Amino acid sequence: MPDSNNKPILQLRNLRKSYRDGSGSLLEVIHLRQFELGTGDQTVLVGQSGSGKSTLLNLIAGILLPDGGEIVVNGVDPTKLSEAARDRFRAANIGYVFQSFNLLQGFTALENVLLGQMFGGGHGGADRAVELLKKVGLEHRLHHKPRALSVGEQQRVAIARALANAPPLVLADEPTGSLDTKNGAAVLGLLRQICGDGGHTLLLVTHDPQVMSSFEKVVRLEDLQ
Amino acid sequence: MNLFKIVTKNMRQRALATWLTGTSVALGVALAVAILLIKQGVQQRFEQGTLGYEMVIGAKGSPLQLVLNTVYNLDISPGNISWKLFEKLRDDKRVKLAVPFSVGDNYHGFRIVGTTDTFFKDFEFEPGRKPELAAGRIFNFKEDALKSAFQEAAERARERESKERGEEVTPAPEPAPVEHPFEAVIGSTVAEQTGLTNGEKFIAAHGVQPSAEAKEHTENPWTVVGILKPTHTAVDRAIYINLDSFYHIEGHELRSPTAAAKPEEKDNDPDPGQVSSIVVKLQSPIFAFGLYREINDREDAMAAFPAAEIRKLFDIVGNIDRLLLAQAILILVVAGVAIAVSIYNSMSERRREIAILRALGARRATIFSIVLLEAVTICVIGAAVGLVGGHLVVGAANGLLYKASGFVIPALHVQTLEWYILAVAVILGAISGLGPALGAYRTDVARNLAPSS
Repeated sequence: MPDSNNKPILQLRNLRKSYRDGSGSLLEVIHLRQFELGTGDQTVLVGQSGSGKSTLLNLIAGILLPDGGEIVVNGVDPTKLSEAARDRFRAANIGYVFQSFNLLQGFTALENVLLGQMFGGGHGGADRAVELLKKVGLEHRLHHKPRALSVGEQQRVAIARALANAPPLVLADEPTGSLDTKNGAAVLGLLRQICGDGGHTLLLVTHDPQVMSSFEKVVRLEDLQ
Repeated sequence: MNLFKIVTKNMRQRALATWLTGTSVALGVALAVAILLIKQGVQQRFEQGTLGYEMVIGAKGSPLQLVLNTVYNLDISPGNISWKLFEKLRDDKRVKLAVPFSVGDNYHGFRIVGTTDTFFKDFEFEPGRKPELAAGRIFNFKEDALKSAFQEAAERARERESKERGEEVTPAPEPAPVEHPFEAVIGSTVAEQTGLTNGEKFIAAHGVQPSAEAKEHTENPWTVVGILKPTHTAVDRAIYINLDSFYHIEGHELRSPTAAAKPEEKDNDPDPGQVSSIVVKLQSPIFAFGLYREINDREDAMAAFPAAEIRKLFDIVGNIDRLLLAQAILILVVAGVAIAVSIYNSMSERRREIAILRALGARRATIFSIVLLEAVTICVIGAAVGLVGGHLVVGAANGLLYKASGFVIPALHVQTLEWYILAVAVILGAISGLGPALGAYRTDVARNLAPSS
């Protein structure tokens, strides 16, 4: 495991995000003092349902903008970029694995991975996409559409897609949430292994104690508030 | 992977909606193209058809009817004019050529036209193009035989009128025997559709249009002596007989003069015969309006310029064309709305896909382009299919058109207007895709990425 004292990949300071609730009053979901991840770190972030874990990942990915505070990913504060530049930055620097896989149904496994490359500048081309699918054990499923894959296989495709542009930071939002225990463990092991081999920093959010227990570095969201 | 691949994947994923909306665009474009092709083709053929017919002279009535009857073998003859007028025109220094025509019979719906051998020898139905024989020869024509036929016809008319008045009919002295060869030269379409061959005999029916009650001239069958090469004009659909044989048979009597010629011509010389119309070619176009006025000053005849009459006809028909084109455009607009509705309807499932693409790094503008490109692609493919379809429909209909009218529309001819239709389809696609594309542009990524419960 790489030393967490390496160059920081993610730095969050005084991060705040609020939503208006149904009655129109502001509801603060995120108020995070400081958080940092180094190159190659593998950290699990835990918290209760509705505690703002997914919102935090969306803030880091630049999908949502914070009300205040600072986010630095790989030395860049994406909130200071234009929206288009932020999108390009996200494609090149952040891989995202979702609980519900979020594969495009009309595209094959290989095409889904190629889509991951497309917006980040086509890093490595089709060869890398095939190689990634081989790494997740799907070399025989390259041209299958998601509907023809098991849920475990679908999440493997999602992992390959998240790593398509070799991003320094991989965000995983409950990646085992839709899988059974056996599949969940296999997928988690694969994700950690590929991230570890490639030196990708992994931030995984979950409320599953079993997933938590497999990580050395566990951070509770409420401790950061 | 590129944008167009994403677009085609989207279209394939919603194949039924894509197919239906694309088909509606194709139908609208095919209809518009077919209307344009038919309109231009018919107008071109009609205008081309008038090229050899500088001026047509016939009985007073509708000039358009006279033109349709003489030039296109359509409609009925407005009446007869005197043979004397024909002779006068033939001898007029301003006239280069005068060809008489008489109509009144048909064979299987094909008009039988009585004329002289001048029609084959000197008449150019289009500049530089005379009727040419594919087989056989032209019919024999002798002017003395025609004069004799006129006498016979006048005598029959006199006998009939006496009978109608209840007077005793005194038989006319037997005319000196004159040979009236019943010979016919048939147009290429007539030969093709009736199967008549050279040397074969046929029996004509009275009237210019077929009718179950029509009297057949069984006593005088005509013999095919020549078959013309295709001209792609009304000539192909006509049977030409010598004028003397036309007046030799029962039923083709000289009509009582409807109106007198100019008073100075009235009594001096009895009218020897009649014809339905005369086609006149002038020595120079400068004589056209003088002769036109002279003829129209007469009480028994009128002159018409076929080209001018056809232009007038198409000015009227043009309004119907515009109406049909408006209908085609309406179909296109409805197709555009259908595309917009179809994409809108799929937006709920698309929003998740859009959110995924955004999470993967796609810009809002990229998402906007994908949706817009999809609508434009459907329209362009639909329009392209419609363009080809329109030409194919006209090409397929040409067989029927040829049977019905004797000419074909150049189905492969691409008109400039068709490129405008394609441009309109692109604009229509862009307009119909604009609303859904804006919706896609505004998609809330975070909300649509959340797992659906």
